[in-house]
Amino acid sequence: MSKSVKRMISMTLVAMLLLGATGCGESQTESEEFSPKIDADTEYKISVVGTYSNFESLESEFERFYAKYPNGEITYTYLDDYGNTIGQALAGQEPPDIYVVQPWMYGNDQYADLFDSAEVLSDPDLEIDLDCIRSGVRWEMENGEILTLPIFATSYGMLVNKDIFEKENLEVPETYEELVDVCEKLKAAGYESPVMGANTSTTPGIGYTFAYPMFAHTVKEDRSVEEGLNNLDPSAGEAMRESLTRLQEFVDAGCIDVAKCSAEMEDDYDAVIMRFFEGDVPMMLCSGDVVSGTKKRESKSEAFEENPFAYDFYVAPSGDEGGYYMDSISLLFCVNKNSENLDMTNEFMRFLASEEELGLMAQEKRLITPTKDYSLDEVYASLSDFPEERTINFRDTELLDTTVKQFRAAAYAVVNGEMTVDEAVASYGTIPTD
Amino acid sequence: MKRRYIIIINILMVGLILFIIAKYANDRAIESNRASIASFEKMTITTEQIIDNYLEDEQHLCDIWSNYINRSAEAGSPMTIDEAISYIRKAKISPEISGHLIYIDDGSMAGISTSAHMTDPTDYSVDYSHISLFENFEIHDLDGKVNLTRAYTDPLNGVQSIAFLNNVKVLDSETNEMREGLLIRVVPVSRLEQKLVFLKGEYENVEISLIDWDGDYMIHGKSLKNRNFFEYFKSYNPMTTKEYNEVVETIRTQIGSMHIRNSKSEDSVIAYTPLSGMNSWYLIAYIPASELTDSKSVDWVLLGIASVGLMLLLHFNLFVLRGLNRKLADAAEAANQANEAKSHFLSTMSHDIRTPMNAIIGMDEMILRSSQDEEILTYAENIKTAGNTLLGIIKDILDFSKIEAGKMELVPVDYNFVSLLNDLVNMVQCKAEEKGLTFELEVDKNIPRIMNGDEIRIKQVITNILSNAVKYTKQGGITFSISSEKIEEHPEEVVLHVSIKDTGIGIKKEDLDKLFVAFERIEEKKNRNVEGTGLGMAIAQSFLNMMGSKMQVESEYGVGSEFSFDLNQRVVNWEPMGEFDTAFKRFRSERKQYRVKFTAPKARILVVDDTEINLKVFTSLLSKTKMQIETADSGDACIHLFKKNHYDLIFLDHMMPNKDGIETMKEMKTLQDTPNTDTPVICLTANAISGMREMYIEAGFHDYLTKPIDTSRLENMILRYLPSNLIERRILVVHEDVAFLKKIKEWLPDCYNVIVVKSEEQAVTFLQKQEVDLILMDDGIQLQKEWEEAKVIRKHFSEISQDEILTLVRDFFNEDS
Repeated sequence: MSKSVKRMISMTLVAMLLLGATGCGESQTESEEFSPKIDADTEYKISVVGTYSNFESLESEFERFYAKYPNGEITYTYLDDYGNTIGQALAGQEPPDIYVVQPWMYGNDQYADLFDSAEVLSDPDLEIDLDCIRSGVRWEMENGEILTLPIFATSYGMLVNKDIFEKENLEVPETYEELVDVCEKLKAAGYESPVMGANTSTTPGIGYTFAYPMFAHTVKEDRSVEEGLNNLDPSAGEAMRESLTRLQEFVDAGCIDVAKCSAEMEDDYDAVIMRFFEGDVPMMLCSGDVVSGTKKRESKSEAFEENPFAYDFYVAPSGDEGGYYMDSISLLFCVNKNSENLDMTNEFMRFLASEEELGLMAQEKRLITPTKDYSLDEVYASLSDFPEERTINFRDTELLDTTVKQFRAAAYAVVNGEMTVDEAVASYGTIPTD
Repeated sequence: MKRRYIIIINILMVGLILFIIAKYANDRAIESNRASIASFEKMTITTEQIIDNYLEDEQHLCDIWSNYINRSAEAGSPMTIDEAISYIRKAKISPEISGHLIYIDDGSMAGISTSAHMTDPTDYSVDYSHISLFENFEIHDLDGKVNLTRAYTDPLNGVQSIAFLNNVKVLDSETNEMREGLLIRVVPVSRLEQKLVFLKGEYENVEISLIDWDGDYMIHGKSLKNRNFFEYFKSYNPMTTKEYNEVVETIRTQIGSMHIRNSKSEDSVIAYTPLSGMNSWYLIAYIPASELTDSKSVDWVLLGIASVGLMLLLHFNLFVLRGLNRKLADAAEAANQANEAKSHFLSTMSHDIRTPMNAIIGMDEMILRSSQDEEILTYAENIKTAGNTLLGIIKDILDFSKIEAGKMELVPVDYNFVSLLNDLVNMVQCKAEEKGLTFELEVDKNIPRIMNGDEIRIKQVITNILSNAVKYTKQGGITFSISSEKIEEHPEEVVLHVSIKDTGIGIKKEDLDKLFVAFERIEEKKNRNVEGTGLGMAIAQSFLNMMGSKMQVESEYGVGSEFSFDLNQRVVNWEPMGEFDTAFKRFRSERKQYRVKFTAPKARILVVDDTEINLKVFTSLLSKTKMQIETADSGDACIHLFKKNHYDLIFLDHMMPNKDGIETMKEMKTLQDTPNTDTPVICLTANAISGMREMYIEAGFHDYLTKPIDTSRLENMILRYLPSNLIERRILVVHEDVAFLKKIKEWLPDCYNVIVVKSEEQAVTFLQKQEVDLILMDDGIQLQKEWEEAKVIRKHFSEISQDEILTLVRDFFNEDS
């Protein structure tokens, strides 16, 4: 047999062996950041309960965690009537290992057990990297302990159709002055209502998304008004004047056709998204939660399917110096310290608490990541390095829900011409809310 | 076959075997997978029955509770809500299960429970107003079927549960009015899940899910994400809306299975079936396809082992093959050596016999030419016959060697059939007559005169048969018949029917098969004294086969034999040959004497041979040509003369000591500025085996002539190579006037050899000894015989001038004046 034939046969055999050997090996690539602390063969079962009826981004994390600890099962369960059932569940026969809390629950006796039952995640023994969380959304208790891991943050602002701005050769406005200027140019270009939004008194509504961050900034700058506002003291209504005035100016400037918004959007979520996907709205006021619904609805909008366009989320440029970024917490996880699977549950939280994992979850859910790295989702890229002085996080103010509702009602009344700014300021504390 | 082809074929066969293994394994795997999936579907149906039974049981227990409460009401002693719950608390066995009773007539959806709140052991109130659970039920008129809710959170303990419903009527203790209530039997989902634990034994990774009409899960395994199966399916299995709707419809209406992609895009199988006891609940059994169809892919281990095994086998085979090849090569080498030895033997034998035969036959020829003594001439004729017989034997052996080596080729030429017959009859008739046998010739006079075919081989075939007939016939005679017949299909051809019948010893039937086998002689002992090699008939049959014919034999032992064959020949001239007997008898009556074909006194010939006698034979045979013949007895002597003198033709022997003919030839080729730059060199050799001619031509010889020398062939060859101007034109002038004869001798230039005779008789006598190129015969002479017209010019030469005669002669020879 000639040497070349021998070499050919030998190489074929070696190739077969190598292929076989390769086939026997595991192809998965280990994450470099996370190294398991517990025996990877440990069998476990973890339950997570929450308020989302569907939590696919979390389920994706389950899968990623299974890659580290394959012999277990993590389930997510939506609890009906969460506010009333979570307490029972924690005390019941099948207590969850991880549960959702929200900032407003703190201080409410009904939910005291949720915080009492929470594992101290800042315990150094747990080695959970909470430093990856932005300080603005990192929730430290009075004693310095951290009981919750923020999963998503949210904000208020506007979706911007980047293609329209590119087509009209315009820059996305950063200040109120620029906003008015851009709106005039857009109107001249045929856009009847350069800005649109849900005409509701809810948080994704026009008044709240445009003016509330400015109002919150006013309170942050002068916390002395906070008590009066929370006590619904009519005199404290003066704190709303600046933001409501700017809101009035915004409407009066013709930047937004409120009647058109009312006519074309029946609700503050689906309708807002689907209207935006029609492709002729340069700027759509909304909350981060609305943005989170865009990804799934892209395929449901025939208009967007036919003519897709690029869009991003921006803070509404309500201030003379620029807009105000409400860096709010959307969802937090607590670990049940009485969990039967506490070690593995804490290990799962250690796994989750990273810029990569939280970033991936936020990206999939299209909410704002609670970490310092905004880079995973381009939609929120504008929030990166936002000036601290115009950023308001949940600890900067302690406005009660009633106060917020009063502002939303005032803003709605101003937007719809039901009240003047003076009337709204004067009526603070007694403005009708739904 | 070349080794690489064997290897390629082996590899292809290995590949084919592996392909068949893989295909077979794959087919079996597919078959097995079908069976696995069918089994999985069966398990799903069994599970559905278990779940169905369980759910019906739970509903039945709920119904027992409600029936008891309602019968109390019907009996006129309605229970209050507290009494009803108290009853249920007593009636229920399992602590995990609880009963809720809520008012539905006022829409409050609130009531009390058998269990207290987990956070407040004193609080038994229950409120469903915040839970969307009953939208799909006619809760005021439940129909008695299984009324199962979706999985929801038990508001009292936060446990995911399912509920079974029925209507009850209870007494409002405050208003003392009958109220419409809804009895809810609350069962933790985990209890249902426990019922499915048994499946783990059979399928490790099976996950059972129950979905409602919309696809929302009641229970689901960890692999099925989302809260809705259909949404999950759509997320990871991209398809058109129509296809998606078909899948949903299939799951809702049929029992079966399908492959789907899970969230990791892995192939999975779901089996589905509706829960038969309930409206709008469906069981989905999920399993990774790898568990069901583990053997679907080719068994690589088996394939790998088979591959390695086959490769080892291939190597082993190649190793063995190489050994066998080596042995075969050795055997082939030995055979080649034997063959070479045989060739060498044949060559040597041929050469060594022909060399002395050259002298014998040559000298005998000289005796025949020069002797006038009839007795001596008879002896010389006998020597010639014996010599030719011996040469015939050698020729047969060489021919057979050629046939055996596949080197024998037919050489078709145009031939005169009369001439062919002349040679045959001339050769055989004498022999037959010598043995006292009759020789009858039956020749069809219509046989075309000129035909095309291998004259030599046809002659050889017939000669062999005729020779045998003479040899094996002791008395009686031989009849040689030959006739022709036109062939309709081939109008240019005739078929010759040749038959040789004898009254010889005949051949036994059992010996007929041996007749054409080489070296086989029939009845060897009996015919020991009959000369022959046993090759003649084998060669004849081979030649006939090559010519598309076959020899037929009919024989009766002790009576005689008839050999016959039919041979197709292309006709060149259809002119019939006419009566052969007449021509032949005249031919026979004239003793054939040697006549020199030409004279060339100015020609210089060099002949080289290491055997002195051969040189003598050569010069003697050509003595009548008057050429100047010089001899050399070695290669070196030849070279010496070659450098020194000009020769018109050189005959060079091959097998000579020291420097053989080929070496001498090569050396002559390298010599420059010799007087013999263009002199043709003919190889004169006793080496007559096949392939020699090619070898000599390749070595640089112009031609090749075998010994013993045939004078006629020798003279023909000299005529072919000798410059024509050296050949004397011989003109025979026949005229009664001696004065004219003298005059014409003077008139014709020296380049013509002019012979003058006075009468026809003198001319005939002369022509018996010498050939002439032209005969000028005066018209005044009365002719007694027929003359060869082509050579004869008849005129009244006395009346012709010198110039006219010269023109006449030159025109005849196509010469310029």
